[in-house]
Amino acid sequence: MNTSAPEFMTQRDDTWVPSTCALCYGTCSILVHRVDGTAIKIEGNPDSAVGKGRLCGKGVSGLMSHYDPNRLTVPLRRTNPKKGIDEDPGWKEISWDEALDEIATVLKRVRAEDPRKLLIQRTTTVLAARTPLMAFGAAFGTPNMSTSGGGLHCGNGAHLISGIMHSSWSIVPDFEHCNYAIYFGASKGHGAGHASASNMKLAADARARGMKMVVVDPMCNYASAKATEWVPVRVGTDGALALAMCNVIVNDLGIVDGPYLQAKTNGPYLIGADKLYVRDPQSNKPLVWDTSIRAARPFTDVAAENMALEGDYEVNGARCQPAFQKLKDHLKKFTPEWGEQLSTVSAATIRRLGSEFAREARIGSTIVVEGITLPYRPVAAIAFRGAQGHMNSLYNFLAVDLLNHLVGAADVVGSCLGFNPTCEGHPETGLPHYVPSSDPDGIMKVGLWMGYHLPYPPGKAQMPEKTGLQDVFPMGMCSPFLESDDQEEFWQKFELPYRTEVMINWGANLLLAIANTESVARALAKYKFMVSFDLFLTETSNFADIVLPDLGYLQQLDSRTSFPFFFCSMPGGMGDWSWTIRQPVLPPDGQQRAFQDVLMELADRVGFRADYNAAFNATLNLKPEYRLQGDRPYTWEEICDADLKSNFGPQRDLEWFKKKGVISWPKKPEEIYWRPFLDVRVPIYWDFLVTLGEQTAAIAEPRGVKIPREYYEPLPDFLPCLSHCCKTPDFDFFAFYYRDAIHTNSYTMENAWLDEAAQLDPYSYTIAINADVGRNKGLHDGSPVWVETETGRKVKGRLKLMQGIHPEGLGIAACAGHWAEGMPLAKGKGIAYNELLEIDWNHVSPVNLNLDLCVRVKVSLAEGSR
Amino acid sequence: MRRGMVIDLKRCIGCYACQLACKAENGTPPGVFFARVLKKEEGQYPTVRQLFLPVLCNHCEEAPCVDACPTGASFKWEDGIVDIDADKCVGCRACMMACPYSNRYYNDGPQHYYEQGATAYERARVSQHQTGVVMKCNFCRDRVRSGKQPACVANCPTVARYFGDLDDPNSEVSRLIKERGGYTLHPELGTKPSVYYLPP
Repeated sequence: MNTSAPEFMTQRDDTWVPSTCALCYGTCSILVHRVDGTAIKIEGNPDSAVGKGRLCGKGVSGLMSHYDPNRLTVPLRRTNPKKGIDEDPGWKEISWDEALDEIATVLKRVRAEDPRKLLIQRTTTVLAARTPLMAFGAAFGTPNMSTSGGGLHCGNGAHLISGIMHSSWSIVPDFEHCNYAIYFGASKGHGAGHASASNMKLAADARARGMKMVVVDPMCNYASAKATEWVPVRVGTDGALALAMCNVIVNDLGIVDGPYLQAKTNGPYLIGADKLYVRDPQSNKPLVWDTSIRAARPFTDVAAENMALEGDYEVNGARCQPAFQKLKDHLKKFTPEWGEQLSTVSAATIRRLGSEFAREARIGSTIVVEGITLPYRPVAAIAFRGAQGHMNSLYNFLAVDLLNHLVGAADVVGSCLGFNPTCEGHPETGLPHYVPSSDPDGIMKVGLWMGYHLPYPPGKAQMPEKTGLQDVFPMGMCSPFLESDDQEEFWQKFELPYRTEVMINWGANLLLAIANTESVARALAKYKFMVSFDLFLTETSNFADIVLPDLGYLQQLDSRTSFPFFFCSMPGGMGDWSWTIRQPVLPPDGQQRAFQDVLMELADRVGFRADYNAAFNATLNLKPEYRLQGDRPYTWEEICDADLKSNFGPQRDLEWFKKKGVISWPKKPEEIYWRPFLDVRVPIYWDFLVTLGEQTAAIAEPRGVKIPREYYEPLPDFLPCLSHCCKTPDFDFFAFYYRDAIHTNSYTMENAWLDEAAQLDPYSYTIAINADVGRNKGLHDGSPVWVETETGRKVKGRLKLMQGIHPEGLGIAACAGHWAEGMPLAKGKGIAYNELLEIDWNHVSPVNLNLDLCVRVKVSLAEGSR
Repeated sequence: MRRGMVIDLKRCIGCYACQLACKAENGTPPGVFFARVLKKEEGQYPTVRQLFLPVLCNHCEEAPCVDACPTGASFKWEDGIVDIDADKCVGCRACMMACPYSNRYYNDGPQHYYEQGATAYERARVSQHQTGVVMKCNFCRDRVRSGKQPACVANCPTVARYFGDLDDPNSEVSRLIKERGGYTLHPELGTKPSVYYLPP
């Protein structure tokens, strides 16, 4: 159990310590009230833009996670060599020295043999862990790093496409100015997700101001509960609805922002019969049709207003068309009637929504913000995990975002915004500084990114070096192949020259977060050696050989808890920038140690401290005078101090930040509404996908893996999920998962207050289906039922009948279903949605590897019940 | 002066931050939330809405709990806050029967969340509450007296809660009630609650 600080004090300890929350990746700034060594209250820090002094239910409940007596306090070693869900690890207490000695011996051997045999796995919940873990992996020499996993909590489509189209990790309406927002499977501003606490106020302000909000979602809760209009949709068909809306806008109404498409997209680029850009033979630059001289010229030589968006042209004897013309023709097949058939949203509604969106965009209008005249497009189409969590992940998200680009509503006032993709830095130091730029084709590259690979340009498909096979599928981020049933088959087919043998896990509970436990357990059991830094003995730590007791967030130090996560935790739109830190409010309990110091000690024991220092220099981008030198053994405190001084000057060192907790400065309109200021274009036509498809197929198909090329077309299409193809009788529900406002992944079910609140909520721990459908099946509120997939995977739980859910939908919240004894409060709470999911090549997007998160199920009364 | 609260249901998203911020402020025992959020659906599919109703002690002007209390433990401060003097409470729970809003709780004995016993936090906070007595929201009277707002108001992420003087016609709460048609729960009971709601 975590006890009070042991210091002998002559004065009463009564202080508020500024730090950063870690109950979710929103990383809100907090003030912790400590009295006589005990933390007694957590409040929001009003001096920070991250949270703005108001916390969500999770944030105010953090003390329950900290003081949980089930927290790990000693290093443990398993004595049972057998690993499995039903195997007792036979934990034995060991000393840190023994633990580190054994880990270092293994790492030393593996690094000498092949450093790629190490996988570094971490949770998304504590974003700041990224830096020390990524640097450790890079210094060790492994390309195998994974965040959370291939499953429910990462957006291979959302992050990738937000990166390509908005230079950001995610998208959000400009709440301050937007008049019409349409959400597809997103909750931003309604309880969960990026910058969740800050966005809640911004969304409420927008609602009070009169912003119309349409929410397309199978379930009426959170965002849809607050919507002006809830549009129930068949699970997984958001993309079809968005494509039909695009067709209405382009072909029925003809309302598009021509100047935007000409200047800020590849809409004018000429496309040849090979689906690729027609290029200038000399410069290799993409050609556009110059209407002033009626000839094709490189895009750099033509004024945007003279670039043709439509028409048929002949260049060097070959026929070609501008990309926008291609898109326009392509969209024609997505009639509202077609959209209705797939999505169940009526054709009339689709026409109305398309029309409302286009007209509310006020194309051509401007507005003055802080004295600067800027384009004004007060509409935003927003998607997130719900819409993109499918095999058709990439096209679904792109189809929704195309709505924005057609009407020029991208990163201008009132529009769809990336989260803070441009930053000119603190006024005194100009740091941090990052701005999107363009590649030789004029297409935007991000200014800042967080993980896996830059979204654009995509890497060339090649034979794999990573166990996730992201080299073969360069659009992939989180990969199913770390756990999939067919991983060995795919590794063999793609001639992966090694196998991962060692996993260092930091806080991820893969058995609850990815897919069915049988598959994930099989994959975990294969590791010859696994180390897990954990707060609790989770289901996943029970597969580890050594478990190390980590510090909780109220005991940790970190110099950058909001950076580079400005596009995760910092609200979009105007306001302040805030660079925040985390600092220890309470001492370690028992033998808990800071994982950053443990990693550095391991680097020393294995003998790669110099590499680790160099990796820190690179990832922290330290100025020359603050760079870590040679193999000198720095402490984590010293590295944090160097990071802060490097960014904010010698006076603003760690001691300064410990007093203040945060440094803030105002955002400028040019940073937030950056689109008109930067000479970058975004692709409404993805020619690179065609090339990528050819590259991937050239590697995969000779090895017996068919690459379905319809996923690699340059324009988005609707491609059904496997669940849409299921025709088996009685499997009449599409199960889907959604985020709960009081739970983060699988972690918070162990928090006493959050668990208690969730037990009182009608939905958090139940299975929601439509009331009329349920009653027709003889089911009732509270009925215990089995939910079963075609493949026989099943979960049991109690029903909640509700009106606000699509008749074909079955909704389950969060990543629940714990069984480990190490998290006794969480044990048995909620429904293990992931248990229903298969994880293999057939259930992922063949282009970005996103696991399909909807599944066809049947519901039956559990035996012995009414 | 009559202290009161206004809850704007248009801004509220049912996120439970008030319920948990109240818990954090008051360190209440297991099972006790002075502030709660109720959820209810209205309408039939597909014309349906989910409504969120945050509730707490209404600090009624005509408080039936005060009238029902045989010992004078339940009383009203001069600013309208209904409170309980734990030293006078004998735990008879007549007030709980009298409260038509079910916003009073009986603290029947020392409790903690974990099998292992009370945590350092629970020893510091939860054990402050006397047992064998009734407990309830007192509009965070200590915070209010030191110039702060009640915890649920100060923390609400959507800024859906307002606190002020209902007797002052120029206060923000009075203005909001007037302009937005604020209403109370179960006015037919004649309790004259000091918690008002603005329509969603």
